[in-house]
Amino acid sequence: MNADTEQNGLALRGTRVLDFTWIHAGPSATRILSDQGAEVIKVESNNALSVIGGPASATARGLGQRHNWNAGKLSISLNMKTPQGIDIAKRLAAVSDVVAENFSGRVMPSWGLDYESIRAINPSVIMLSMSGFGRTGPWKDRVSYGQTLQAWSGFTQLTGFPDADPSGPASAYSDAVGGMAGAQAVMLALIHRARTGRGQWLDVSQFESLSSLLETLTLDMSVNGASAVSTRTGNRAAHGGGAPHGAYRCKGDDRWAAISVFTDEEWRAFATAIGNPDWASDARFASAESRESNVDALDALVESWTMQHSAEDVMGLLQAAGVAAGVVQTGADLSRDPQLKQREFFRRVPDHQGEYRTIESAPYKLSRTPGSVTRGAPAFAADMTYVLRELLGMTDDEVEDCAIAGAFD
Amino acid sequence: MANPHEQSHAEPSLPLSGFRALDLSGPMGVYCGKLMADMGADVIKVEPPGGDPMREIGPFIDSRPGPDRSLYWLHFNTNKRGVTLDISTAEGAAALRGLALASDVLLETGPPGYMEMLGLGYESLAVESSGLVYASITPFGQTGPYRDYKASDLVGFAMGGYMYVTGWPHTPPTKLWGSQAYHTASNRAYIAILLALYHRMATGEGQYIDVSMQEAVAATTEHVNTTYNYTGEPAVRCGFRHGGQFVATWKCKDGYASITTNTRAAWDDLRAWMDRDGMAGDLMDEQYNDHFVLRGEHSAHIEKLVQAWAMLHTRQEITEFGQSNHHPWGPAATADEILTNEQLWGRGYLTTVESQDGRPMVCAGDPYRLSEFPQPVRRTAPAPGEHNAEVLSGILGLSPEEIARLSI
Repeated sequence: MNADTEQNGLALRGTRVLDFTWIHAGPSATRILSDQGAEVIKVESNNALSVIGGPASATARGLGQRHNWNAGKLSISLNMKTPQGIDIAKRLAAVSDVVAENFSGRVMPSWGLDYESIRAINPSVIMLSMSGFGRTGPWKDRVSYGQTLQAWSGFTQLTGFPDADPSGPASAYSDAVGGMAGAQAVMLALIHRARTGRGQWLDVSQFESLSSLLETLTLDMSVNGASAVSTRTGNRAAHGGGAPHGAYRCKGDDRWAAISVFTDEEWRAFATAIGNPDWASDARFASAESRESNVDALDALVESWTMQHSAEDVMGLLQAAGVAAGVVQTGADLSRDPQLKQREFFRRVPDHQGEYRTIESAPYKLSRTPGSVTRGAPAFAADMTYVLRELLGMTDDEVEDCAIAGAFD
Repeated sequence: MANPHEQSHAEPSLPLSGFRALDLSGPMGVYCGKLMADMGADVIKVEPPGGDPMREIGPFIDSRPGPDRSLYWLHFNTNKRGVTLDISTAEGAAALRGLALASDVLLETGPPGYMEMLGLGYESLAVESSGLVYASITPFGQTGPYRDYKASDLVGFAMGGYMYVTGWPHTPPTKLWGSQAYHTASNRAYIAILLALYHRMATGEGQYIDVSMQEAVAATTEHVNTTYNYTGEPAVRCGFRHGGQFVATWKCKDGYASITTNTRAAWDDLRAWMDRDGMAGDLMDEQYNDHFVLRGEHSAHIEKLVQAWAMLHTRQEITEFGQSNHHPWGPAATADEILTNEQLWGRGYLTTVESQDGRPMVCAGDPYRLSEFPQPVRRTAPAPGEHNAEVLSGILGLSPEEIARLSI
């Protein structure tokens, strides 16, 4: 166990993470640590539910998510219904810096792997517990999925257009946010441990992580009254002031460009870039305020221009004039995006069979510790030998006895 | 000098106590500054003379604008100190350099090249302070063909690939409520800063961090990239049906409720309940036994039946039935229900502080609980130039005359 790092381009080399997490939020948190050199040992089981990102991926997309959220990790199989499986997990917890899990609250205690028990065998351990609602409070035993939390936190009801059903986020924003919060909490705890030698228990409520992105919502309602926060506002600027501001239909099938104009200077640049049509000098659009109050008329006119161009051309023409505009990119667009390409956002890394898999890389570049991902997600139980023999020093006989007892099933 | 090496024996009262950060960020980074401040860093918000443009962002107290009335400003700048400096002048830039050399972190969101133009780029500061962690958040990053492109939260969300899939097939692509592209960039920048601080504690080395909002969003879309990269088909807008899968939200009697049938048991309980109400149609048939059936060829048929049934029940009925059977079902809450949420109050996530005129304001907490630390003590957001004297004389040793000249 070693909290020190060397000048090796990896901030977390020497840090070991025993990773019980599954599905999305947990694995995406530990993937962030793995990218920076942490040795993340993923504990899996054939008995666990086969969900996306889990031991076996039923779909091509699930396979992609397994690689995306588990790249660079090691995998072992442990049957936690056997005393031998639990014993091995405890021995691994004793030699790990971080133990991570996102089960419901009863699971880790049922294995004798709650924070206090692990701390008894590893006094400076950092334990990351991620859950829907946190491990305290009246809702601690409620169960949730990403979309449940998005609904419960208000994001579902607030996202979308006022004249349509709310849409909420298309994907599990809650899990992505929970993953980021989990990684932040671990880093804060590692910093604290490096200064004091003490570990701690990190109780991440994904409900709270998501709620902390509600900006001024509670402040506003408590000061200005509950009606202050109106319902859905579609693509209007979050805090008002922008017009045009939205997604505008372009030439082609379901092609769109996002455009946002706030100041009068941006408006003039926009008008020039689109060739100063007559309507651009209409008095209704002369000031930011009047553009906002005539926004529906303005949107229709802007779209009459965007419809004549490809989304790529709308972006290019407007950006050349200094106006914030971009293609509403699809997954296909992203895979070809020249910006992402030059910055190597997508990486091709080999899996255990040597087949190359596409994964996302970290969305930041650190000049001294750039991190690296050199392989995809592990095959199920791919690293038994390293973990059992090298790390725990188990003998052939011990491993065989455990296997006979079903500890690896 | 905020130097954690020298303070290694002091007892930190919060995880980032003893670290100092200069926050020059706008809306793209202000949440990152807040996260650092809430966890104990001495975050100094640097505003231009006359006050930061973010003070003009609403909502406002009593809906009346004013530099100290912006709730946006108050929310994102709690626990920070504030100085006003015109860094576009030589003297202001020199003062900023002095502050940067006495800091551990510098966070900025200017266009690529702007800080270099002022003589305040990373290379220039690192010559004198090799331990400095310098984080730049920009729409598209410091390199690449789009590096000089401009972006708002909306454009970042669109270019990152999240917008195309959000919304309904019949609506335009839709942004998330709030400024989530900005906050995602902030969340990612904060992770990078913490990694860099940890590396510095071990080696003494600082470094430069280049965060792209577009990439931050692209790395947060869950299924957009994996769907295309592994199936060759781009993901499309499905409203709250989440790809027509077993995860879905439905319109019910009094609003909307999220009903996730992620297990066979949840799916069986749902269709049995529909059957008891006489609304299951043919869903009890064996061909529908697999709970993944919702994304198969029968999805439209099943959706129609579930939707018709859901209208018979309230959010509470659906939530109580689901939760009592350990299924992840819950209501789509409205904004006013957040304000009174018993779990957020029960864990102390929501707290009340007094406004300047003595009224209660409900403040949101931080995204996690650390057992070593209680909830952070809150300092309200600074007034323009509130800590000019304290910071400029305390850290730089400037005289009152010099301070007055610098920060007008």
